[in-house]
Amino acid sequence: MRLLEAATLRHLARHRAQLALALLGLTLGVGTIVAVNLATASAQAAFERSLRTVNGAATHQLSAAGGDLPESLYVALATHPPAAGGTPLRVSPVIEGYAQAGNRVLRLIGSDPFSALSGAAEAAAAAGPGAQAAGDWLTKGGTVLMDAASARALGLKVGQSLELRVAGHTVPAELAGFIGEDAPGAEALLVTDIAQAQEWLGMPGRISRIDARLPEGPGGAALEQALRAQLPASVQLVATRARARETFAMTDAFTTNLHAMSLLALLVGMFLIYGAVSFGVLQRRTTLAVLRALGARRGEILGLILKEAALLGVGGALLGVLAGIAIGHALVGLVARTINDLYFQVAVTEVTVPVATLVVAFAAGLATALLAALVPALEVAGAPPNLALSRAVLEARARRIARALVPLSVGLVLAAALAVLASSRSLLAGFLALFLLLIAVAALTPAFLEAVARLAARALGGGSTVLRLGLADVGRSLSRTGVACAALGMALAAMIGVALMVGSFRASLATWLERTLQADLYVSAPGPLEDAGRLFMPGRVRELTTLPGIAAHSEARRLRVDSPQGEIDLNALRLGPRGGATFTLAQGGAPAWAAFEHGAVLISEPLAWRLKRGMGGTLALVTPQGLTEFPVAGVYREYGNERGEILMALRTYREHWHDDAVSGLGIYLAPGHSAEAVAQELRAQAAPDPLYIRSNAQIRALSLSIFDRTFVITRVLYFLAAGVAALGLVSALLAWELSRARELALLRTLGITPAGTALMVLAQSLFMGLAAFVVAVPAGLVTAWVLTAVINRRAFGWHIDLEVQSAGFATALVLALLAALTAALYPAWRAARAPLTAALRTE
Amino acid sequence: MNVRRAVIALAALAALAAAAASAAPPLEVAPLLGPAPAGFAAAEAPREFQFPDDHGPHPDFRQEWWYFTGNLEAADGERFGFEFTVFRFALAPPGARPPGDSAWRAREVYMAHLAVTDPARGRFMSSERLERAALDLAGARARPFAVWVDDWSVRAVEDVPSSWLLRAQADGYALELELDASGTPVLNGEHGLSVKSDTPPSASYYYSLPRLGVRGRVIRGGQAREVTGLAWFDREWGSGVLGRGQVGWDWFALQLQDGSALMYYALRDRDGTRDSHSAGTFVEPSGETRPLGAGEVEVEVRDHYVARSGTRYPSAWTVRVPHLGLELAVRPVLADQELTTRPRYWEGAVDATGSRAGAKLRGRGYVELVGYGAER
Repeated sequence: MRLLEAATLRHLARHRAQLALALLGLTLGVGTIVAVNLATASAQAAFERSLRTVNGAATHQLSAAGGDLPESLYVALATHPPAAGGTPLRVSPVIEGYAQAGNRVLRLIGSDPFSALSGAAEAAAAAGPGAQAAGDWLTKGGTVLMDAASARALGLKVGQSLELRVAGHTVPAELAGFIGEDAPGAEALLVTDIAQAQEWLGMPGRISRIDARLPEGPGGAALEQALRAQLPASVQLVATRARARETFAMTDAFTTNLHAMSLLALLVGMFLIYGAVSFGVLQRRTTLAVLRALGARRGEILGLILKEAALLGVGGALLGVLAGIAIGHALVGLVARTINDLYFQVAVTEVTVPVATLVVAFAAGLATALLAALVPALEVAGAPPNLALSRAVLEARARRIARALVPLSVGLVLAAALAVLASSRSLLAGFLALFLLLIAVAALTPAFLEAVARLAARALGGGSTVLRLGLADVGRSLSRTGVACAALGMALAAMIGVALMVGSFRASLATWLERTLQADLYVSAPGPLEDAGRLFMPGRVRELTTLPGIAAHSEARRLRVDSPQGEIDLNALRLGPRGGATFTLAQGGAPAWAAFEHGAVLISEPLAWRLKRGMGGTLALVTPQGLTEFPVAGVYREYGNERGEILMALRTYREHWHDDAVSGLGIYLAPGHSAEAVAQELRAQAAPDPLYIRSNAQIRALSLSIFDRTFVITRVLYFLAAGVAALGLVSALLAWELSRARELALLRTLGITPAGTALMVLAQSLFMGLAAFVVAVPAGLVTAWVLTAVINRRAFGWHIDLEVQSAGFATALVLALLAALTAALYPAWRAARAPLTAALRTE
Repeated sequence: MNVRRAVIALAALAALAAAAASAAPPLEVAPLLGPAPAGFAAAEAPREFQFPDDHGPHPDFRQEWWYFTGNLEAADGERFGFEFTVFRFALAPPGARPPGDSAWRAREVYMAHLAVTDPARGRFMSSERLERAALDLAGARARPFAVWVDDWSVRAVEDVPSSWLLRAQADGYALELELDASGTPVLNGEHGLSVKSDTPPSASYYYSLPRLGVRGRVIRGGQAREVTGLAWFDREWGSGVLGRGQVGWDWFALQLQDGSALMYYALRDRDGTRDSHSAGTFVEPSGETRPLGAGEVEVEVRDHYVARSGTRYPSAWTVRVPHLGLELAVRPVLADQELTTRPRYWEGAVDATGSRAGAKLRGRGYVELVGYGAER
């Protein structure tokens, strides 16, 4: 054994570049897996933290369908809590709204420091500097606490006065303290006493919600029951955890895409590792065969190689985990930005390192390394010593395997199709199909490469001999070229698929925006989300819509309502002059709109998918009268809200909710009036209250830019995958170049110039890139179909029309050639300047 | 003892701040020095007490409290101690205009402490509530008598004004006690005017009901125990603050077997000596009261104990009133009776054994220790 180990060590010492490549391959493969998962997990963790800050110690929340609650309900609960065997109920009132300080919009929380359960209020309490401030908090008007980051950005110090814009009024305030820096999730937050918040937001006698803390265990359950019995029908008691989960479902769709990417990263990473490690073993087949010939047993050889692969695997995987954590830090920002654009403000202040991910990535790396060593090792150890010495035997075997992989590839495609067909809703099946498909591409590539290489060599028969030799060599050296080409083909297929999916999605979105945004101007009161200050009262609506130059208008009241299935966004609409024509119905035709005007609702595709409802069904919503059933008259396309929404006639909404406020107006201009002039008139009419006015073009552009930013991360990830595949190509070419140094030298002695040798290496690489691309084109199309029609459909319920755009293919082609070119540069340079005699003497 | 609990109220307000602080700092009284703020009435001269009106709040004064402590016993002899206290603290003088019109605007804050001593289980439970005097969330009234903070309350039973029902629950313990408040109030100090310091001048109105009969239930983990016992009711209001140099106090309230009762508070100065404004009252079994001056009572500390918070408290005393021939050894029924409220202080059920003029005497009561710092 000593001898064997010494031989291995010597080999590795003499082939440090090879060792480094294998290590690099492992590191990058494992690193990619870790990085992608890390970025996703960190963004999720940040989101959960911010939820905790909002929810704090509260286990439940009480809220009403109409939007807010009478404060008397809180008083009743605080002074006469439901009795259940000595288990105390803790409740705390909360008022929520928005305030603007300088150019920043802050979440305004009105809290009661004496009962506060919410993290934000606790954080606020923790920041209170003392008795004086505690007194001020209650007795001095305008006392506020602000998160340290916002205060810093506004240049505010404790004790300083500031002006706030709340519910359309400018009010004086004084900064009494910061909400601790260490309160994660306390971003863009302004906390004031509940009395002050009530006054500022103009909601006397009302509060936004009641936080409640119920103890765990049977006592808590009994208390919950007693509490429910005491509540009016219109008041909902929801566990904050359930609410958080529901909100979190929003990001599920987003993380679904990320998971698809990390799956891709895993696949490409594993191929890279396989390539890197197996080359290392194959390159030594001569040494190993000699050892066998000298009497080493099969088991010994096998053990030796596996031991080495395990060492390499552990080292590379460890490095990979470290590298992944580093890359993950860089990705986290991108992921968080996407979430911020789409859903809510999340400041990713710390990177969460999920142990499970590290373990999975490490295990995948190590297992792949072992497998990558085992397959060639079995081959070398199993072959009779004299045969093992021959590369021709080896390549023949590789060709056999490549051909055997073709039926396997077909089988995988069939399995993928089966997975899709056999399930109608399972997202997991969708992912499985995607996985199988990509593997099928990889399995098919070597055989394809060999075939086209042979064909190309024959076709070029009359032309350059060097080129012909080179191409034939690509096909004959499948053990080297096959795996690298397969990894590249797979990465390119995924890339084309994702690009097509994103492009189609964008086109569907644009079409939808075009059709939906029919009004010339859209007007709303400022404020990032719904709150009392953001609404127009009927008087204001009349004032604004009767201005000259306005031919017609639509009115919308948007809010979130409760239902037995959780909160749902409701869009109550008084349609504009084009009626329902601005919607594309997936189910229900003209009769749907008639029903809509008479109390039925329409639901968006994502909601229909999520709740498994459709035309003819009903939907129960919590109205101030309690649970009310609404008939569903149709399903419409909608890409703006992946959780789905309900469309209801404004009249129907007002009948049930007794709320005649309006969140937004769509203004249709009379002929001959300019949008700018009318916008100016609207602003003048509303003064001093500000208005948000956007033209339909602006909203379209904004929506599309948000969409594009959302997929920045996707783009980054597939470039990463392609980059990793390119690296696989480099290591393959290098290994190949090393092992055929003698052949190349022979060619040189036969009269090929060094430049010619380099050109040959370059041409071989480009050919491989091209071959990978050709395989990737149909595979990419199928992948795109799986992504749009299966995965996106199953994740969000969206119906996306697949549009084949050349841009995605072009990018993939450029990337393939670029990867091939870059990968070939160094090996070509080496091949050109290899000293002839040394290379000839090697064997 | 106006000041003692006023300090607790103020410090608690300061500490409502430090909601997350795990270890509240020992009571710091220095920042609270200063004359009573303008706009509040001051306790300057003896006054005519009116009952039951004076059981109700005195909003012209800055601070006020209702203090119940008592020792209870079940039929099988199992013992409990309880403390239920409500503080009222005004943040602005009575005439002050609130800055807004929300019903949540409040001029006063109420705070309540609840503690149950359960020597059989070796447990001491303490809990607190803070609430603004708004929307009837917290408040007090004289007729019919009531004082409450959220769902913790003492309220006169309908049609029986001198029978009060105490209800409060926290952390596995609930009290449902009926208190007999028909006794004659004992006016402490000079006809109820209790002078606390000369610099700055400060005093309060202070009376006690030293022997309230108690019947009711202690509910522990959902299991009710019928109990009877004796409670002590302390009432005090004023607008003043602690004197310069005073750091804390030791307060004794003992109900003795012969029907007598002893109340004494030893104010401690920064230099460790007893303040000359320390005072007390002895109530004879006949109801006759004897004011006790600082020099008329000797308190000798026999032992110490270090609480979980690290604070070192005295834990056994010998109390002597030489001119009454009274000598009592006072011991806590449980060493660990430190309230983990904000601020932390020690207030616990005690047993007293000793003699008066040669005759053996036993009793029970409560001791309060405020202003002790961490052991160095």
